[in-house]
Amino acid sequence: MNASASERPHILLVDDEPEILHSLKGLLRREFTLHTAETGPQALEILRQHAIQVIMTDQRMPQMTGAQLLGQAKAISPDTIRILFTGYADIKAVVDAVNQGQVYRYLTKPWDPDELVDLLSSATAEHQQRKKLQAILETASGLCERISNSELAGGFREECDQLADQIKRLSDG
Amino acid sequence: MSKVSNHEEANSTALRGEPAAQLAETRPETAWRGSFPSAAVTSDQRMKVLMADDNEVTRLLLNAQLTGWGLDVIVAKDGKQAWDLFLEHAPPLVLTDWVMPRLDGLELVRRIRAHPSDHYVYVVLLTSKSEKQDLVAAMDAGADDFLVKSCDNQELRVRLREGARILRLEQKLAEKNREIRDAQAALIQSEKLVSLGQLAAGMAHEINNPIAYVANNLAVLKRDISSVMEILDAYRAQIDQLRLADPQAADALVRLEQSHDLSWIQENTTPTFDASLNGLKRVRDIVHDLREFARLDEADSDTVAIGDMVRSTVAVLQHLISEKEIAVTVVDDTNPSIECRPAAVNQVLHNILINSIQACGMRDRVEIRVGENDDTVCLDIRDSGSGICDNDLPRIFEPFFTTREVGRGKGLGLSHCYGVIQDHGGTIVVKSKLGIGTTVRIELPKQRCTQSTEGHK
Repeated sequence: MNASASERPHILLVDDEPEILHSLKGLLRREFTLHTAETGPQALEILRQHAIQVIMTDQRMPQMTGAQLLGQAKAISPDTIRILFTGYADIKAVVDAVNQGQVYRYLTKPWDPDELVDLLSSATAEHQQRKKLQAILETASGLCERISNSELAGGFREECDQLADQIKRLSDG
Repeated sequence: MSKVSNHEEANSTALRGEPAAQLAETRPETAWRGSFPSAAVTSDQRMKVLMADDNEVTRLLLNAQLTGWGLDVIVAKDGKQAWDLFLEHAPPLVLTDWVMPRLDGLELVRRIRAHPSDHYVYVVLLTSKSEKQDLVAAMDAGADDFLVKSCDNQELRVRLREGARILRLEQKLAEKNREIRDAQAALIQSEKLVSLGQLAAGMAHEINNPIAYVANNLAVLKRDISSVMEILDAYRAQIDQLRLADPQAADALVRLEQSHDLSWIQENTTPTFDASLNGLKRVRDIVHDLREFARLDEADSDTVAIGDMVRSTVAVLQHLISEKEIAVTVVDDTNPSIECRPAAVNQVLHNILINSIQACGMRDRVEIRVGENDDTVCLDIRDSGSGICDNDLPRIFEPFFTTREVGRGKGLGLSHCYGVIQDHGGTIVVKSKLGIGTTVRIELPKQRCTQSTEGHK
């Protein structure tokens, strides 16, 4: 049932409490390859260096809040699935982050261990789906371009260009 | 007037020339009926007066006169008897002779003044002594008024009426003081609840993180230990092979297993982890309830019919109601609606009703009355259960206050209710009599005022 180390999805955990990070490592080490950071800037550095499928961050941290971190993470690595991890008092922060489109899911502390594993599994599955879709779209858009530039296009050139345009917008969004 | 040494003679002439028959006609003072300190008023609402004189004729005359004026007269033959009767009846008004055997009037006044009483006692010294220094001595001892004998009955009447007026004022003052004290106590109580709410909010936040990782660690350990056990079993399956190669090592391993009671460990680790996780879940629930009390969560408002909520709550609790054969009636003529957080208000109804049912004995009654005013709806939940004693009543909304035995009930139900109702801009008042029952009155505004709940972080 355990994936071999090389296949395991890469997950970045961010929390300013080392005890939380340690505890989460214990829970998740079998299914995922884990990266941890205790501050926002540290997390962003890891995000630049590694291909991270899912980032899960605490909201309340010094220097940078979780929502701020996810905002910057989106710019660095748009495909990474973003999860906000909050205490009870941070509902407003969650609402803001969700509305700004920075968050895929949020999880409240204390969390249920099984729920957390399920959430991360579905997040990585989602990431894989997106990746596949992205690849298909790229292929399709490349194909459209080639058809449009070739003799084959004939009377379909206009439709081809339109489709290429739509695909481009879809993969950017 | 000269100083009279023969007080017997003076006493006998105190009310000279005024026969009892005439006194009966001077009975206009019905005004002092029914207006005296409640502690001192008898069942027929007449004011009690203690009258002490060692002269029998004076006693007879004064008794007739005072009774004629509508007073409830307690007669004493001397100071000692007067003191005993005073302790027994606690009259608000005392009319006493000065010179008496056993205990004189002055000493009687001093004792009355030194005696703790829940109402003021108005004392009139009636005496044949008439010098200025006598008056000073009497007033110093604590007398309110000083009457020289052979005063006429009209003078006595107006002096006593004056005493009654002062007693009335004193009673009003005492009432006002009581009201102020009650208001102050209520204020302190509500401030206490507010600060407890802030404490709860802070606690909930601080406790949350450690609970989070301790619970997670337990789950991790539970899983990892079961992995270790699996590995261990795989090794143990090889013990026969080991015995062939190295019998001593195999025996040592078996002894080690026995000395650590491995079979117990294998059986009990999982239940131990489960019990710990369960305990932690309870802590988590307490934090959750405290958070509710502190109103940390804001959910969406909805407009709902309060009577429907009441009926559905009754339905949910039907098994408890049937168990005790309690007669539950819901009176709801207008079925008013309110804007509220339905889940929170439901929880309040649930908590209050459970308390009522628990206070009930077999075949008791619970009545829930839904009413409305212009801007508010009110709910009266009345039970004929055991009631709450006076000592507990002011504390029922405090978090962790419970009268149930330790371990049953966390004492958060009513504090939670208080928090929810306050948050909705409503009020909740509990009235109760031990052995008679309890009434909870909840008043909620029909429209939710959108007051800011910031500052409860």
